[in-house]
Amino acid sequence: MPDSVVLRGLTIEVGDRRLVDEVGLQVHSGQVVGLVGSSGSGKTLTARALLGLVDLEPGVVRADLRVQWEGQRFHPYEGRPRTRRERAKAFASLRGDVLGYLPQDAPRTLDPLSTVAAQLARVARLGRAPDRALGAWLQAGGFTPTHAEEVLPLYPHELSGGMGQRVAIALALARGSRFLIVDEPTTGLDAPVQHRLLQHLRALAHDGLGVVVVTHDLRWLGEVADAVVVLDQGRRVEALTSEALTSGEADSGAARRLLDAVRRLQSPGFPS
Amino acid sequence: MIRWAHHALRGLRAHDSLLGRLGLAWLLLLVVVALCAPLAGYPVGADVDLSQASQGMSGRHPLGTDHLGRDTFARLALACRAFTGPGLLAGLVALTAVPTGALAGMHGGWVAHLTRYVAGVVASVPRFVLVLLLLTIYGNTPTVLGLAIGLAYVPELAEAVRARVEGLRVADFVLASRAHGVPEGRLLWLHLVLGATNQLVARHLIRVFAFTVVVESTLAYLGGFGVQEPQPSWGNLLVFEWGRGLGPQVIAPAAALLITLAACAAAAGFVGGRRHAG
Amino acid sequence: MTRVVVTRGAWAALTLLGAVGFSFALVVWAPGDPIDLLPNADAVRPTLEARWRLDQSPLQRMASWWRLLLAGDLGTSLSYRPGAPVWEVIRQPVVATGLRVLAALAVAITTGSVLALRTGGQRRSRTRLLVQLASLAPLFLLAHGAVAVLNEGAFALMQAGWMGRPGWFALPDQASLLRSSLAIGLLAVGSSSLHEVHAEIEHAVAHLQESPFVDAARARGEATWPLLLRHLLPTACSVAASRVGWLLGGSVVVEKLLLLPGAGAVLWNAALLRDYEVVLGLTLVAATAVVVARLLADLARVWLDPRLRASA
Repeated sequence: MPDSVVLRGLTIEVGDRRLVDEVGLQVHSGQVVGLVGSSGSGKTLTARALLGLVDLEPGVVRADLRVQWEGQRFHPYEGRPRTRRERAKAFASLRGDVLGYLPQDAPRTLDPLSTVAAQLARVARLGRAPDRALGAWLQAGGFTPTHAEEVLPLYPHELSGGMGQRVAIALALARGSRFLIVDEPTTGLDAPVQHRLLQHLRALAHDGLGVVVVTHDLRWLGEVADAVVVLDQGRRVEALTSEALTSGEADSGAARRLLDAVRRLQSPGFPS
Repeated sequence: MIRWAHHALRGLRAHDSLLGRLGLAWLLLLVVVALCAPLAGYPVGADVDLSQASQGMSGRHPLGTDHLGRDTFARLALACRAFTGPGLLAGLVALTAVPTGALAGMHGGWVAHLTRYVAGVVASVPRFVLVLLLLTIYGNTPTVLGLAIGLAYVPELAEAVRARVEGLRVADFVLASRAHGVPEGRLLWLHLVLGATNQLVARHLIRVFAFTVVVESTLAYLGGFGVQEPQPSWGNLLVFEWGRGLGPQVIAPAAALLITLAACAAAAGFVGGRRHAG
Repeated sequence: MTRVVVTRGAWAALTLLGAVGFSFALVVWAPGDPIDLLPNADAVRPTLEARWRLDQSPLQRMASWWRLLLAGDLGTSLSYRPGAPVWEVIRQPVVATGLRVLAALAVAITTGSVLALRTGGQRRSRTRLLVQLASLAPLFLLAHGAVAVLNEGAFALMQAGWMGRPGWFALPDQASLLRSSLAIGLLAVGSSSLHEVHAEIEHAVAHLQESPFVDAARARGEATWPLLLRHLLPTACSVAASRVGWLLGGSVVVEKLLLLPGAGAVLWNAALLRDYEVVLGLTLVAATAVVVARLLADLARVWLDPRLRASA
């Protein structure tokens, strides 16, 4: 049985507003699933809900999340956790070991008071390959070997945006999670770097990870993703296959708008 | 003048809180009692009556008597004088920090540095130590106490006002109005400064008053400085009945102190807005 | 980093000089005959008039005081312990009080931090309310209450025959462990130090809980408190330095009430005897402590944060 994360019926309400309405998605190890939609469609909330990280006060999060990992089954939302502490307890065995998270604006997620090396060492110790060289993790995150050695003694404020991004990825990989949920990894990176990054995620899936990529940028997703879930205003409106992405055909208006926008950007005369 | 007072009061009514209003009311009551209690003609110093010693609460002695037969309630009320005078004087002295701080904030540059330096110098001496130093040198009078406490709070208030006014100086709307060619009329500045600082000044003044209550009662309790027997103070009311159990003679001054300090805390919060709100 | 140490150190030194000058000025420009107020005025008048040169102008007197201070002479006690050099009179008490103040700081910081970490982030915590209430009372009231409770309790136990006369009914010159510990506890709570520490750290914790790197650590399944503690160190340093003044003032009350030897007791008794030299000497020591504490906290803040270290 391959490891899997199956989410059904995710609903997030604040007061009488439904920010996310009955959203579902699933990812198996070895798959890359895209989660797309325009801003405000509830993508980040959905991504965070997979880890129990939605802390809206006051707010209600309801979901049916089933995680299957190394023969064990987890139902973290079964006990209806309501506070941050309860969620931390419910997701304790999942966070880190099974589910990994690379948040938006990744460079800011680095501890400003520790060097890159110190942070990597701390995280790697919790992971599945604690003895692997720190430089190797950085390379896995996208650094060249020499650059990796230069970066190790630096503090986060001394890193450029792109470097910080890659360090964050290295940290996520060092943690060794089986599933990686990545939120807007391409923001702030230039096009070739974005492409490389998404290829990298594909490679990770090839190695056995399950990846969920949240993005509003569809340009490369077609080459990389096995399936794409489209959200619009908190609702799941469509699930696209990779063929649909390349062909540009879709059923829902939201998906069509997204694909249209991508086509316009990719048309000749527009720098890519 | 009226318009300024109206402006100031409007800023003060910023936060609706029952406790805050009650606190302010209590403080006002204390001032009234301090002014009126002496008029009742209680014979301080000539009120010893051993036949009435250590009585409990009764119609004639609402809070009982101490072991010399002196009426607790009357002395409790008279004790308000001990700290209201110095407290109000200290407040006045502390207010001199406001124009200083405002000037430093408006001008910036060396004026601000100098103000910061002087404030740092005065603030280096712990407040209670400064008060003791001044009482030793200049004599043990309520005036010196008031002046000393006021002086001890000048640095804090000056710095707070300076920081606020400096923030105002670079605020967008000021820059915008300058760009539109509005002249920096003195009156406009005064209006802005008063409007922006009246909450924090009020908050600090209440803190000064609270500190006066604490220092005055501490000095009276420890004996030697501050109010001397037979003049009553909440501090010496407490120490006088030391070791004689837990009657109203002991509970009343302790309660009075706690209520007053709680009133100050509530009033400061009500008048001054939230702590960390800039 | 060196540049910061030098600039902040210079500013601190200047401030201290200013504080010394300020204290000297207060004494020198006092109206009236200072010798008159002394209880042993007649006995010491001849020596003092020669020593203080009251015939000279205030500025000249200040200058001579500065000269004496720079030579290491803090003056001679007038009425507290006539003839003894101030430095000898205050040396041991200052150490005793200093240790107590440091201990009280440690208690306030650890307790405040632990309490704040447990409740940090919640808007209304019962702990914060309790701490606030406890620190409302003036220190002498808290001490009075504590001693009364202790005495009554001990007396009751002695009456019931459960214990003999306890060792802490000892003579004032011997600081018993119980009285010292009580003093430290009272100092930490009664000078509002615990309250301030708790409030500041709670505020910082609430802010930190929402920061991206704590969120990322949480997502990795890490315990967040080690991270929080490391990030709270600068705040703890600042708030500790700001409490030193209050703790020194509180020492006067606590030492007098609990009959402990220390700079606070000396200050009080010397002040009662109008011994300016001793009071002035202790004022200078107190100012030095405050300035040094502030400087150390400032430097610690810069040193602990690599971003500040870089821009220094």
